[in-house]
Amino acid sequence: MKVFRRILVAAVALTASTGATLAADWTPPGPIKLMIAFRAGGGADTQARLIAEALEAKLGWKFIPEQVTGKGGLNMAAALKDAANDGTAIGMTVTETFGYNMAAAPKAGMKPADFTGLTTTAGFQMGVVAPSSKGWTSFGDMVAAGKGGEQIRFGVMSPKLADLAYLLGKAQGVSLNIVSVRGGKAVMDGVNAGDLDVGFMAGIQAKGVAAGDLVNLASGLSEPLNQTPDAPTLADLGVAFNADGQFVFVGPAGMPEDARTALIDAIAGVVTDDTTKAGGYIKKAFGSAVVISGSDLDAMLQTSYDAAGALLKAASE
Amino acid sequence: MMGTLDYIWLGVLAVFQGPELFSIFGLPISITLLMILCGFLLGIVVGATPGLAGPVAMAISLPILISVFGYTPDALLPVMGFLIGIMKGATIGGAVPAILFNTPGTPDAYMTTLDGYPMAQKGHAKKALRVAHFASVSGDTFSDVVLVICAPFLALLVEQYLDLPEKTALLILSLSFIAAAVGGSAAKGLISTGLGLLVAFIGTGADFYPRLSMGTEALSQGITLGPAILGVLIIGAVFHELAGQWRHRDVASRPVPQIEIGSDRLSLGDIRKLMPYIGRSAIVGTMVGALPGIGSTLAATIGYTMGQRRHEKRAKLDEPAFGEGAMEGIAATEAANSSVSGANLIPVLSLGIPGNTAAVFLILAADSIGGFNPGPSVFKFTTDAVNPELVIAFGLFTAMFVANFLNWTIGGLFMRSMGVMARVPKQLLLPVVLLLTLTAIYVQETRLEVIWFTLAFGLLGYGMRLLAISPLPFVIAFILGGKLEATARQAFDATGSDPFFLLNNPIAAAFMVLSVAIIFLASRKKPESK
Repeated sequence: MKVFRRILVAAVALTASTGATLAADWTPPGPIKLMIAFRAGGGADTQARLIAEALEAKLGWKFIPEQVTGKGGLNMAAALKDAANDGTAIGMTVTETFGYNMAAAPKAGMKPADFTGLTTTAGFQMGVVAPSSKGWTSFGDMVAAGKGGEQIRFGVMSPKLADLAYLLGKAQGVSLNIVSVRGGKAVMDGVNAGDLDVGFMAGIQAKGVAAGDLVNLASGLSEPLNQTPDAPTLADLGVAFNADGQFVFVGPAGMPEDARTALIDAIAGVVTDDTTKAGGYIKKAFGSAVVISGSDLDAMLQTSYDAAGALLKAASE
Repeated sequence: MMGTLDYIWLGVLAVFQGPELFSIFGLPISITLLMILCGFLLGIVVGATPGLAGPVAMAISLPILISVFGYTPDALLPVMGFLIGIMKGATIGGAVPAILFNTPGTPDAYMTTLDGYPMAQKGHAKKALRVAHFASVSGDTFSDVVLVICAPFLALLVEQYLDLPEKTALLILSLSFIAAAVGGSAAKGLISTGLGLLVAFIGTGADFYPRLSMGTEALSQGITLGPAILGVLIIGAVFHELAGQWRHRDVASRPVPQIEIGSDRLSLGDIRKLMPYIGRSAIVGTMVGALPGIGSTLAATIGYTMGQRRHEKRAKLDEPAFGEGAMEGIAATEAANSSVSGANLIPVLSLGIPGNTAAVFLILAADSIGGFNPGPSVFKFTTDAVNPELVIAFGLFTAMFVANFLNWTIGGLFMRSMGVMARVPKQLLLPVVLLLTLTAIYVQETRLEVIWFTLAFGLLGYGMRLLAISPLPFVIAFILGGKLEATARQAFDATGSDPFFLLNNPIAAAFMVLSVAIIFLASRKKPESK
């Protein structure tokens, strides 16, 4: 997977350099409104603002970051859908918005095809994280505590993760009190304040784990976590689904190709460059940049939308 | 490693070494300092203008400031510094027309007219203004000191002892307290609170489908803070004032102040005489300010009454009694209403619960800009990495003391030159405020719907004023609505879906009993005793 990522990064860097002449012709016709689907101060928000800052410095474009939070990115998507598609309105959310969330909310009347995929920036390092003060060093310790009668509060920041947590508890034969909060930072705050015992965190835990205040008990992904490779994956723990996903930039459907290419090149150029603040942040929190862009991204979003039904069905059983 | 002192120092530096505007003799002047100064001067001007008050200026300048400074955390201190400046300036400015023309510039200054205007009539206008200024600044400074000491302490206490169910109950308790305390009647307070919650619940919630939106795109994004708060508070007030102007269009013009007689200086003896009154009022004002929802008007009333009692016992025969131009009366009132403002931020910063309109706008600023979420998590003294919110909090404290310094040094002088503002005719002022508010809202959210929302909330605010329902509980319930729902849902989940989570735990149950008791006691009050 790491090799795959490197190839992707290299491929994008190449396309970026070939497309440079085309992209250089495009400049935004006005300030770019950057709608951020997550609360200020969290991992997605920090990333989006750092990227905007780097682009302002590098290309002289002007960004207006704006929080359009709620409904797992659907509010942002709804606002973005009808915005101008000339590149002056883009959104930052997670791939889950276009997969599980759109599939779970048919009434919202949105599908991935209503948007122009720009690029992903980083994959989640989604861990099941507990504070080290709990004394749990492995996922087994938590299960044992639960079976011993302790009520375990499991923080999640999206309905999809709530489903995964439910299936995780079911597979391990332990009942979890699943608490939905707004954003990964809220999970971390809750865990640190003692309101929650454990929770999903998508990379924001890196610093705390490195400092020894937090422990990655399990990986929420299909593969082990970079930071704690020994922690079991959800598949190891008997759950057939995972929380694989990325942070993603999108625009409204029908964005002209030159604007799209220019935006992709600009964003990918910043996130893959460790020397920028944005690239440095991504490397620290999420291991490495993951750049899936253009039509590959469109296809990936459509696939995850189509596949969301299986998880919805499993969790409702 | 970060210690408490390091945080305080970082906060001070954030204000003094923030983004540099220009330098004088190689000494960089930070933009935050300049914004505090501008806010402060503007605050005195609006405070001195009858019909305007701090909240109006804060409401109009906030969206404009945000569009100037942007949404980066760097914008927090300059913008909030400006608002703090307005808050402090308006407090002392309000005394000017009260003393000179018997028309209080702000509602808090009503009690100031009782002794201030008689003093002015006797030819001691300047001295009365000096007393008001001295008392106001003393009370304010005292209150800020209490804030700085108490807010972190209270926040830590809350975080340590209150779990999710207790936090839910605490929010309910604050709402019920505000409903009961603001305005005359608990029933009206509850109506106002209920409407605020209803509006907060439009388009929000945990479900993917936007509730209460009646299928419309405009409502499905929910009602944003700006249109709702500015509509009800400012536009509603403008409508109400305009209607009042129309009804009283024949009333004669204002009286003219008297010429100065005798010394207008405050002697050391005067100060020694005033200090006991100022001290007591400052303590009362600070205690009242720390409770969410009880405004400075009550503090002023209590301060004045206490001062009156003391004065009756101790005053010499040749001194004027309270109500006849006693400078102790001005001091007791001004110290009490000014000391509310600092303490009012204790519940804001430590719990995220606003207690008055000034606090509402500070929360609105924090919420719009992002990067600072008032509440217990602000005061986490993390030692391994810097907690940026805590630095901002100490930056705000620093901004308050900078504003106090300005108040002590140039505030009095500037204030005494503001008598002219009382002559600004309202029929010119109100349309300007209306236009500025609508423009300011549109600047921040460039959708035409927000103008309609704002006007609709303005009508709601007007209706509430007609029915003597205070809009403050509406605004505070609207701000706390989302938080209340989220905390309640989390508490419910965390307790394993226990439907009685508010009652199964002693602290939460006590808060709930108190919430009901407050409403019950407040509604038993006879109407005459208001």
